[in-house]
Amino acid sequence: MSKIIGAVEIGTSKAKALVGEVSEGKPLSIVGMATRPNEGMRKGEIIDFNKVGTSVHTALAEAEKMSGTTVDSIYLAQTGSHLSGSVLRASANVSSSDGRVSASDLQRAADEAKRRKPENGRSYVHYVRMPILLDGRPVEDPVGMIGKKVEIVYWAIEGNDSAIRANLDVANSYGLEVDDLILSSIASSTLVAGPDLKRAGVLVIDMGAGVTDLAIYRSGHVAYTGVIPVGGDHVSGDLAMGLRVFEPYAEKLKLTYGLAQHDSSAQDEKVWITNEKTIGDRAVSRKAISSIIHVRVVELFEIIAKELGDFLNPEELGAGVVLTGGASRLPGIEQVASMVLGVPARKATFPSEIGKDLAQPENATVLGLLHYALEDNRLPGQPKSNENSGILSKIGGLLGI
Amino acid sequence: MNQENFLEPSANPHLQDCPGLRAMIIGVGGAGTSLVDGLRFDNFDYVENLVIDVDVRSLADSLAAEKLTFGRRHTRGMGTGGDVKLARRAIEEEKDKLREKLDGVDLVFLLAGLGGGTGGGVASVVARLARERGALVFAFAPMPFSWEKSRHAQAEECLEDLRKHANAVIPLPNDSLLQIGGPDATALECFAEAGRNVSRGISAICNLIYRKGMIDVDFVHLRKAFGGRAGRTLFGYGKGAGKDGLREAMRELLVCPMLHLPDVSKAADILLIFINGGPNLGMSALQSASQEIREAFKAGEQVVFGAHVDENMGDEVRIIVLGATDLGTASPMADVAPPAQEVFHATSKPKETHPSRLSINQKEAKKMVSKRGSKKKTSESLEQNTFSFMEDQNQRGIFDNLPSRNMYEGEDLDVPTYLRRGVQINL
Repeated sequence: MSKIIGAVEIGTSKAKALVGEVSEGKPLSIVGMATRPNEGMRKGEIIDFNKVGTSVHTALAEAEKMSGTTVDSIYLAQTGSHLSGSVLRASANVSSSDGRVSASDLQRAADEAKRRKPENGRSYVHYVRMPILLDGRPVEDPVGMIGKKVEIVYWAIEGNDSAIRANLDVANSYGLEVDDLILSSIASSTLVAGPDLKRAGVLVIDMGAGVTDLAIYRSGHVAYTGVIPVGGDHVSGDLAMGLRVFEPYAEKLKLTYGLAQHDSSAQDEKVWITNEKTIGDRAVSRKAISSIIHVRVVELFEIIAKELGDFLNPEELGAGVVLTGGASRLPGIEQVASMVLGVPARKATFPSEIGKDLAQPENATVLGLLHYALEDNRLPGQPKSNENSGILSKIGGLLGI
Repeated sequence: MNQENFLEPSANPHLQDCPGLRAMIIGVGGAGTSLVDGLRFDNFDYVENLVIDVDVRSLADSLAAEKLTFGRRHTRGMGTGGDVKLARRAIEEEKDKLREKLDGVDLVFLLAGLGGGTGGGVASVVARLARERGALVFAFAPMPFSWEKSRHAQAEECLEDLRKHANAVIPLPNDSLLQIGGPDATALECFAEAGRNVSRGISAICNLIYRKGMIDVDFVHLRKAFGGRAGRTLFGYGKGAGKDGLREAMRELLVCPMLHLPDVSKAADILLIFINGGPNLGMSALQSASQEIREAFKAGEQVVFGAHVDENMGDEVRIIVLGATDLGTASPMADVAPPAQEVFHATSKPKETHPSRLSINQKEAKKMVSKRGSKKKTSESLEQNTFSFMEDQNQRGIFDNLPSRNMYEGEDLDVPTYLRRGVQINL
């Protein structure tokens, strides 16, 4: 018996929909995917509901058509600068008389941790489990171990109700249920940083058009996530202003000639803006293009370094920095990242089972959504049916249920 | 020629009781004072000037004809040390002195560095008082560098405040200085260039009003266009020389660094175009240039167009544009000035009502007016192949429509990094 699952990422420049099929004993296969330009968003937040709705719906319809099936529910990626993460922890005393930890002890601790509510107007969108502590020692699976107290720690991401609601409404207006909301950076990390990288310690930076998502992993667990409201659009905007050209031409120049760092050994050359040799066309220097991009990218990594603070420790980031997202296509960006962050950086590689045409940096989040959804994110010892991390438990209040 | 001939006294009751149109350049604070001093060399003989500061010593060094000190009680003749509130309190106490100076002034050019205490605090008060007395106020406001964080934030607040009171505010961000100067420009040259921008703006407006030209505009037109308006402004210039001088100037205008700054509007509801050139300035070329400029800035009906011939310019051509927009969303204008409309109605007929002004080339002007009229009707069908590729594009910056600023440690991340960090870009 196979199951169809869907994933949607409403990105600032593009809406992406993915349809996957899972069948017993077989890996996930992607049966449909579509991308549509999205003009209704800026910096990860919806400014024009109708435009966003249209692009999401056409992307979904096309992905469904390609797969020959229909999708009833989807996993939805969340990003935007309104999101913020914090650590939630709660503990439970081991209840059994023989001092062995049971699944119900863990569940009690988890319920306790999730009982906390953020301030008015905000809701938790995603709980990411951090290590479980048994009498203060981190353990992977404490069930059956002897101890007095289990402590459970979550990295809980909260966001503005109105922004989350807008995202849900886009999906609901297409008649879709949302299985779960997943933080974009966590989704991307699932795909581009495997368990071994996460154990060694890794910083994943997903550079989108509107925002840059980051997630840091240490000893296998997430330690910090963040969203910085600067992305590839800012690079294009800077170019438009600096070269005094209109936005679409700036975007084109960025994609064709953009470099994160100017190659000082190369001779400076001039390139035409529209390349149509019309009367209004001008030539601009490639050095001007790369200098404008360089300062913006350097600043972005400086902000990331500031945001991460002590988390940015080369000794704890054995696997270095992994860059993904559309803006990470910029040639030379990994050198700039290494230089500013002081940790070796490289562009992401994708697992080999993902087809070549799908294995593009801008697809990391949407592909990661499906992989994350399939991963076992349950508490140790919990039966499948008892899984209670669905969307209703998180934002039931928001939907009035 | 006498200034009195420039205006028809009976047409404008407001100006009737004064001998001529009075324009005044007012420098406020240290930066404003040095800008006024810089302008002394630019032959604005017909414009009065006044400098206002709390710092007695800096005023004593100024070349301005009139000086006003205030706040002696608060600062004992020294500066405010960047304290906007102190400056504002001091000027409020001595408003009457200022009112006296502003009496009968019709046009005020206000120059004030908004990063300073005096400039930031007093500029909006001066603008308010001047408008209360019926003057049209154009403010040129140098803004501190982005890296001067707290000063920059203070200046932003003062700018908001000034926008409420002045008819048009043209911010001159120091961040842009590096982009304005040439590749090897020294700091001094960059600041001098900033001064020249102010001079360009003022001379464009003054030339429109005072000088006789091919296509004339008078103060009333200016007042109608800018009276009671606030919001975002744009200010740009371009110059060219040679056979294709006008075209070259157009090209330079469209890439003018002053037009490509955050906070500068990309479209204008009101547009003032001023073209200055040698005797060879062709009529049809002027027509198409003005049309192109209008389209480039998406200007509506409110266009004030002036063209002047200067024998000394040879084949050189200069274009200056000044515009304002966002009137709908702009913060409400403090309603203190006499309604511009009333003044205007008396003279709302075209140029012909000013025979004394155009006694020499009146015929040409009339021809011009009729030509302009016919041009308007056909403008939609006119083929604009040169710059038409810009038409369909979004004319506003991509982050322009966002309500909130993207602040991080006192810097707006939506503003290009190269501007904030002072990285020079040589095209």
